[in-house]
Amino acid sequence: MSAGLPHPLTYSVIIDEKLGLGLPPHVYYMWLAMIILFTCALMLRGRLQLVPGGLQNVFETVIGGLEDFTVANIGEEGRKVFPFLCSIFIFILVMNYIGLIPGCDAATANVNTNAAMAICVFLYYNYIGIKKWGFGYIKHFMGPMAALAPLMLVLETVSHLARPVSLTLRLFGNIRGEEIVLVLLFVLAPVLGTLPMYFLFILGKTIQAFIFFMLTMIYLKGSLEHAH
Amino acid sequence: MFFPKQGKHSGALELLYVSGTIGLQLVSATFIGLAMGYFLDKWLGTSPWLLVVFLILGIVAGFRDVYREAKRIQNRTGGEPGAGDPGAGK
Repeated sequence: MSAGLPHPLTYSVIIDEKLGLGLPPHVYYMWLAMIILFTCALMLRGRLQLVPGGLQNVFETVIGGLEDFTVANIGEEGRKVFPFLCSIFIFILVMNYIGLIPGCDAATANVNTNAAMAICVFLYYNYIGIKKWGFGYIKHFMGPMAALAPLMLVLETVSHLARPVSLTLRLFGNIRGEEIVLVLLFVLAPVLGTLPMYFLFILGKTIQAFIFFMLTMIYLKGSLEHAH
Repeated sequence: MFFPKQGKHSGALELLYVSGTIGLQLVSATFIGLAMGYFLDKWLGTSPWLLVVFLILGIVAGFRDVYREAKRIQNRTGGEPGAGDPGAGK
């Protein structure tokens, strides 16, 4: 929960002192999220059952629900890009929730993490578009009328470049803001003040992860469907 | 809550996403336009003309995105503005 304020001690500071690597906190918390997800995945892979129970049930609900949602929005082609979408969602969700653990910080509360993911999204949907349409992908940037094509090319380039920026800033602003509010409320009224906020922030963090997922989906839909 | 079933993901979630999206898209398109103009000026030495042109282009692109988003919502709610809201259109 350090969030850039002169921070209360986070675990990553202690770990960093032990290891002597000099890395910033969000890197450690991102690794933590990766460890959690890899552990879950490896645990589940060993004992997949036809009738799911426990952890497998949770993951099947989440991933199955998201897949239905994606296919309902993009169409059958959505299944090809779904692994990317789903890993983005679950990764962000876990990183966001880690921020709620006392002594931990959300990795998404640092702008670098988000920028990395947003750039991945940007490159990926353009790659998918180019792979599907070849050189014709440029039609997506030209607009409907031939006369206005040069103007549209510039306009679309600007609005496409604005996408990773807005993705980054939205996630960063929301999560960082929540972390700061938690720290401030903890200073004001230690447990009583923060506890109700936890319920709000669990919702808020879920929604932010979902918005990132949904925007990625819409961008992919845009690059997969026929130009205008 | 956050895994909408097929066909059941009505209003609220969609609106949440839209309200979280539109404003920032407008702002970031403007700033991207500004940055492109600034760096092109620096590169080509045509200060300040490209800055002005690209700033205006950025603003236009931002508004165009918002307009497109509004159209998308309109299509989704059945063509009529406010069709998802029973109190509207009286």
